[in-house]
Amino acid sequence: MAQAMQVLVVDDEETICLSLAAWLFKAGYRVETAGSGQEALTQLKQRLFDIYLLDIKMPSMDGLELLAEIKALQPDAAAIMITAHGSIQTAVASMKKGAVDYLCKPFDPDELSLVMERVAATKALKDENEVLRMQLMEQQAAFLEGIVAQSAAMHAVLADIEEMAPSNAAVLITGETGVGKDLVARMIHLRSRQAQGPFIAVNCGAQTESLLESELFGHERGAFTGAVKARRGLLEMADGGTLFLDEIGEITQKMQVALLRVLEDKHFQRLGGGHPIDTQFRLICATHRDLLQLRREELFREDFFYRINVFSIHVPPLRQRREDIPVLADFFLQKYNQETGKRIEGFTQNAMAALCAYPWPGNARELRNVVERVVVLTRGRMIGAAEIAFLEKSADACDSDGLTLKALEQRHINSVLAACEGNITHAAKRLGIDRVTLSRKLKRYQASLAASGEIK
Amino acid sequence: MDPAGPPLSSEVVDPHEPAHLDLIPFGIIEPMISSVVAANIQAVVGLFVRTHPPSELPADAFITMRNQYDAAKIIHTIGQADGGAPFKLGLIAHDLCIPILTYVYGESQMGGSAAVISTARLFDTRQEIFYQRIAKVAVHETGHLVGLAHCRQIDCLMRFSRDIEQLDRLPLLFCSVCEYEIARQIKRFINMGTAGK
Repeated sequence: MAQAMQVLVVDDEETICLSLAAWLFKAGYRVETAGSGQEALTQLKQRLFDIYLLDIKMPSMDGLELLAEIKALQPDAAAIMITAHGSIQTAVASMKKGAVDYLCKPFDPDELSLVMERVAATKALKDENEVLRMQLMEQQAAFLEGIVAQSAAMHAVLADIEEMAPSNAAVLITGETGVGKDLVARMIHLRSRQAQGPFIAVNCGAQTESLLESELFGHERGAFTGAVKARRGLLEMADGGTLFLDEIGEITQKMQVALLRVLEDKHFQRLGGGHPIDTQFRLICATHRDLLQLRREELFREDFFYRINVFSIHVPPLRQRREDIPVLADFFLQKYNQETGKRIEGFTQNAMAALCAYPWPGNARELRNVVERVVVLTRGRMIGAAEIAFLEKSADACDSDGLTLKALEQRHINSVLAACEGNITHAAKRLGIDRVTLSRKLKRYQASLAASGEIK
Repeated sequence: MDPAGPPLSSEVVDPHEPAHLDLIPFGIIEPMISSVVAANIQAVVGLFVRTHPPSELPADAFITMRNQYDAAKIIHTIGQADGGAPFKLGLIAHDLCIPILTYVYGESQMGGSAAVISTARLFDTRQEIFYQRIAKVAVHETGHLVGLAHCRQIDCLMRFSRDIEQLDRLPLLFCSVCEYEIARQIKRFINMGTAGK
């Protein structure tokens, strides 16, 4: 912090330079001095400083010229100008050229202390902010590696992302649950012009209408019972960045109207607030539902649908891009190896074949959870078919796509009967119904099979 | 140094008595002030203090336009003096400044040999408060002489005081870090056998 701050004092009066340097040294700063602008620039070629104290009036190169040179070399440099009484206008002019403050000499020790502490604290905050921003970008870059694409279908999705990301237009991402719609949204954000701004994600399906309204719009103190203090809404926080509304198909028509107005007007009011708040953000929405169908059923407003669907991206389910399964499985294996400190080398051929054969109703999210589970449970260096045998049972259990409830019941009864070797009493007991009910159901199934011509 | 520790009395005038710090009053200084300064430096910092008779005010350090004495020049004068203790602390009743600052309560060479403090801005009608302020500034500047920079701890005497109220709130003590550092520096200094005679 302040103790480590490097300061350069530039003044043509040696006594000023020395006394200021001595004071700053005692205050814990690392101080160098220069008697002229040229000498300062020579030092700047060797190293940069955190804070510069520049006398405005110096022969040959004055403080303003030196300030311009320093700013050209180091745009984020914090410079404090030192001026004599009567030259305050020049000092003010220097602040317009990028100086952070000025001091009129001779100055009070408390004034010097305050200015230095303020500038040092601001500089430290800026540096910390920059470091955190870089860390965040690194994390996000690592996060994006989660979009592993081998298939032509996903390459097409990635190409679409690259194409539409620089635009400011709204994007609608569709696809089944677990395909990675949020990853696509983040990738669009990071490739967009708002990449330096915030990425605010909201799951609209997880909240009631009133809670979602309060979250998005914020509220003033006393706007409703429990609003003990004012709160910024997510629309406000997304200013300059991206707002990602997941499960957009779940929001009510009232909320669709409210959001449509924000998208049209670029401003909104907090709940209980009286003045409009400007906001500019890129909207990305996602849903697993068929919005066209919802629109036909008049559950989704047509004007809102077209407003959020300027661009659309469909992320295909994993079962339609099985080439991605091996690379995704390897990616998750490396991820969980790192997290658990294990050194599992990979999947055996049989295990990988089983992974590729599985229908993955939960898509990439399910694959990730499966890999996490087997990484934790596997003791050897390879994951074998035995470790993922549980998937086959799940596949049997969940291989029910397109079945009616009646057909599913019939299938379950048949499998229990088979397990009980045709003994109706035992099967009824296992199914939790009485023997008469089971017999009646079996007769009904036989009748329906006969009617459909399957039993002759 | 006497193994039993230095005597707390400041009435040391014998120039042959070994000392770590020479206290040099300039102009008219109340003897009690010298005693308070010497006793506190000995008690808080652990340096044995030898109080000198008052010296004349250095005329060349006076800045007529500002009606103040230049602390840097006084320090230079004190530091130039031959012999004596390795540390020297001037004591003056007039207001002090340095070229870039409008005033200072005290000034010292960081990790050097000379310092000076002024009583001019420390006055209070309550004598106890007045003496406490002088003792705090003297011990603070001695801390700089030993090599300590300003401390950020709010309860440490090495913290920079922006005004007299802040000085009054400070205890006449160092924080544990500064206390450890002072003890370490003084131990090194004594081991080097640099105590003057």
